[in-house]
Amino acid sequence: MSLKIASRIAARELRGGLRGFRVFLACLSLGVAAIAAVGTVRESIGQGLQREGAVILGGDAAIGLTYRFAEPEERAWMESVADEVSEIVDFRSMAVVERDGDTERGLTQVKGVDAAYPIYGETVLEPEMPLAAALDGAGGLPGAVMDRVLVDRLGLAPGDTFRMGTQDFHLSAILAREPDGAAGGFGLGPRTLVRTEALADSGLLQPGTLFETSYRLRLPPGTDVAQTAALAENALDGAGLRWQDRRNGAPGVSEFVDRLGAFLVLVGLAGLAVGGVGVSAAVRAYLEGKTGVIATLKTLGADRATVFQTYLVQIGVLTLLGLLIGLALGALAPLIFAPIIEARLPVPAAFGLYPRPLAEAALYGGLAALLFTIWPLARTEDIRAATLFRDAAVRAGGWPRPVWIGVTLLLLAVLIGAAAILSGLLTLTLWSALGMLAAFVTLVLAAEGVRRLARRGARTRALRGRSTARMALGSVGGPGAETTSVVLSLGLGLSVLAAIGQIDSNLRGAIARDLPDVAPSYFVVDIQNDQLEGFRARLDANPAVETVESAPMLRGIITQINGRPAAETAGDHWVLEGDRGITYSEAPPDGAVITAGTWWDADYSGPPQVSFAAEEAEEMGLELGDMLTINVLGRDIDAEVTSFREVDFSTAGIGFILSMNPGALAGAPHTHIATVYAEEAAEGAILRDLAEAYPNITAIRVRDAIDRVTDVLGGIAAAVTYGALATLITGGIVLIGAAAAGVRARTYEAAVLKTLGATRGSILANFALRSGLLGAAAGIVAIIAGGIAGWAVTTFVMNTDYVFEPVSAISIVAAGVLATLAAGLVFAWGPLSARPARVLRARE
Amino acid sequence: MTDPVLSLSDVRLSLAGNAGMVDILRDITLDVAKGETVGLVGPSGSGKSSLLMLMGGLERASSGSVLALGHDLTGLGEDALARFRREHMGVVFQSFHLIPTMTALENVATPLELAGVPDAFDRAAAELAMVGLADRVDHYPSQMSGGEQQRVALARAAAPRPDILLADEPTGNLDGSTGEAIMDLLFGLRDRHGATLVLVTHARELAERCDRVIRLRDGAIDAASQAQAAE
Repeated sequence: MSLKIASRIAARELRGGLRGFRVFLACLSLGVAAIAAVGTVRESIGQGLQREGAVILGGDAAIGLTYRFAEPEERAWMESVADEVSEIVDFRSMAVVERDGDTERGLTQVKGVDAAYPIYGETVLEPEMPLAAALDGAGGLPGAVMDRVLVDRLGLAPGDTFRMGTQDFHLSAILAREPDGAAGGFGLGPRTLVRTEALADSGLLQPGTLFETSYRLRLPPGTDVAQTAALAENALDGAGLRWQDRRNGAPGVSEFVDRLGAFLVLVGLAGLAVGGVGVSAAVRAYLEGKTGVIATLKTLGADRATVFQTYLVQIGVLTLLGLLIGLALGALAPLIFAPIIEARLPVPAAFGLYPRPLAEAALYGGLAALLFTIWPLARTEDIRAATLFRDAAVRAGGWPRPVWIGVTLLLLAVLIGAAAILSGLLTLTLWSALGMLAAFVTLVLAAEGVRRLARRGARTRALRGRSTARMALGSVGGPGAETTSVVLSLGLGLSVLAAIGQIDSNLRGAIARDLPDVAPSYFVVDIQNDQLEGFRARLDANPAVETVESAPMLRGIITQINGRPAAETAGDHWVLEGDRGITYSEAPPDGAVITAGTWWDADYSGPPQVSFAAEEAEEMGLELGDMLTINVLGRDIDAEVTSFREVDFSTAGIGFILSMNPGALAGAPHTHIATVYAEEAAEGAILRDLAEAYPNITAIRVRDAIDRVTDVLGGIAAAVTYGALATLITGGIVLIGAAAAGVRARTYEAAVLKTLGATRGSILANFALRSGLLGAAAGIVAIIAGGIAGWAVTTFVMNTDYVFEPVSAISIVAAGVLATLAAGLVFAWGPLSARPARVLRARE
Repeated sequence: MTDPVLSLSDVRLSLAGNAGMVDILRDITLDVAKGETVGLVGPSGSGKSSLLMLMGGLERASSGSVLALGHDLTGLGEDALARFRREHMGVVFQSFHLIPTMTALENVATPLELAGVPDAFDRAAAELAMVGLADRVDHYPSQMSGGEQQRVALARAAAPRPDILLADEPTGNLDGSTGEAIMDLLFGLRDRHGATLVLVTHARELAERCDRVIRLRDGAIDAASQAQAAE
């Protein structure tokens, strides 16, 4: 009954329009829009990957092998199930150009294809020509097409000649689009496409060379892909193959997009929390203005519930409006910016309206709106009818009834729970929520601290006679001041930015700043057994070379642990994803620390034994005595885990998860890898010397690889920064809202001060000083909160050392001070120009 | 009459209203002598408060001249007016207009600080003691009753020892006995500092305590008090 009456009264009250709710609507709709937009982009990419699965994968299904081509019987099986089979070989090499006595070299990811390539999609070349014609070559040389990046780096142009290994190629065209380019994931070098048969005389595909093959299958129409996958497992079991099909053409990409998307939704939620401060302030201000109405309603017989419901209905209607605006913006923005977003994506995206991300955003927005309005709404209960006669205002302090505290906690739990479930990042969500709550509490405490300090400061003898400073401090510390709302809204926004700034700089710093000090100059792969001795001797003789380390290298997949599929024991640990490097040695590497078990004797010749990296073993739940089945070159090797050892990957040196006794891998064709530590100035000469002596080997310049990784991280950081931008804009709106809400009070204050003889200059200085003080307070708390968040993420998530980054931190404080100052000064203009008489008369 | 402290000549005040320009005051010519107490009376909307605001430089005349202590207020800018007020005027309002974020002591000390008085706080404390609020110096306006707030406002207006005290219905928001106490204080302050007092009031007994009463009607000085006004 009371709800019906409350709704009627609410409807009458809402006839007054949306004045005073602009900040409410802006904060809510922006927060919802950011989350909806991120979700829509994520869904669009997911849909794109699914729709274009076969094109991205290069076939309806693909079978991957490491180090080897398919055996005839394997190939026969593929041809028995598929209408068409295309064979791809993929490896790293060096593209070499000799010009006027100079030699240019560039790392490239080579893809050898057959005539059936590509089964799906289209290869786009510049100048336009069919791929087959381009790969036919010219002038007796086989043809090749190459990514523009490498063509430019090597100073090539279509029609030129370059060399890979010992084979010359005719560059027919630039490779503008490779239909299956995204499936390969992260490559260290730009792509070069050639016919596999043209590599026969290149010396690049010798036994033991690191290469991968992929057999793309075009299945007959109507084939059940899942059933074929099961057939493949039966037919090719134990051969170390990796099956992929169009249901998930680029699992790496889709997983990455999922995780990044979920992380960005969390950033969006932080924005919503910042907006919540504005929402709460707007509702509080609205209800304070309604004190007389509420008191009148109570005089007329409205009970607590009716009054509460009256305003709950109003806020509910406005929340609905805010959600609708936010959802519309969030759904439309990706559609409008689709061409720009698509151009920056390595994968296709199917932009459209998807209900799931919109529902998710609406859920978050609705919960956040309720969470942040429930306390101000609960305060309506404290307004008594007598207020009308005693002219008492609603005081901001005090706790609502316990039931409302319970409801608030429940809403908070539901919001965090929903975020944890929907993002799939339970731990990160909980830590983020905890961080936000901690920042929230810290900021409230900081605001109270600033208020008390300011109050005390205003009363110090030192400030007597310095009226501007004393008045500014008095205002910051006085009752009803905007201290809490400004410090909270600005501080929360800046904390998010500061945290992202610290994480970003540490992420880049860990790789770009710290690593090169300890990292080798070159990684060299594909050193044949008969080349190793000469290779080492050559480098040992070079005075610029400090150290050379080498190790035999094979690749294999852990298929079983103690006779059961590996994933059953170790879940989806990254060591089980695809094949891993394996080495062997008689003795532990120099300086190796065995943490458990014992290393085999130098002359050990018994059943295979394996030493496993300690940290990864613990994560996977391995114990000494466990039996691992490792597929190397299609052959299963059963090895007992006899020791664990520390492996440090952070130095970019040689580090293997798996090391076996030499006898276990005897006879398996393999090559060696080496790390070369040398003076930077000599790096070029070393590369030239090695490449001339051993054309088949590939040297990867670590500095280039680091740049490439840094580029990728830069892209991620940019995406996160865009996500945080919504938080910043929301913070700005809240700040402007707070400044605008204070205009009436400032106008009045300015009028009184003018009456008392204050000049406009001194009033402006007073306003500026208090804005600056609040901005600085928010900024300083943001640095501390951001620093703690940055430390937590770098230490516990990224496992790297945390270094406080002062430049971004100082920028944050400066931005905070400037933003509040700007908002304060813009909104000081009106109060300063108002005539005192009119202002004061209006308050009579 | 010695040189008047306040001298208004052919003053007109027109303000923009919803239906166009509205004449609030017209043809106001009035002199107030040093040490004199003048009461402005008249029905609501007759322009009493507007006239007081013109005298304080809080409102700008549309035409005519407003001289205070020989300075033409109509020719002064906003900041010059503010400086003039802090040196020569104290204003008391019906709604007190204390700054809510300042304590009683800070409110009273503010005009002294603005005027560069070195012992502003000591003087403010003494002024508060004089109005009987020695024990409320650290209270904020919201923590005081209406009568107490008006006493703070009186102390604030009187603290800089102004030549002219302007009071706009200073007892309008107070009950009878509180209002009477405030009036005693106001007249006491006038006597102590030898200030000229102009006050707007509806209260007959208050008007009777003034040396002269000027009646306004429809924005003009009533004919009966016109002769007195020009004295």
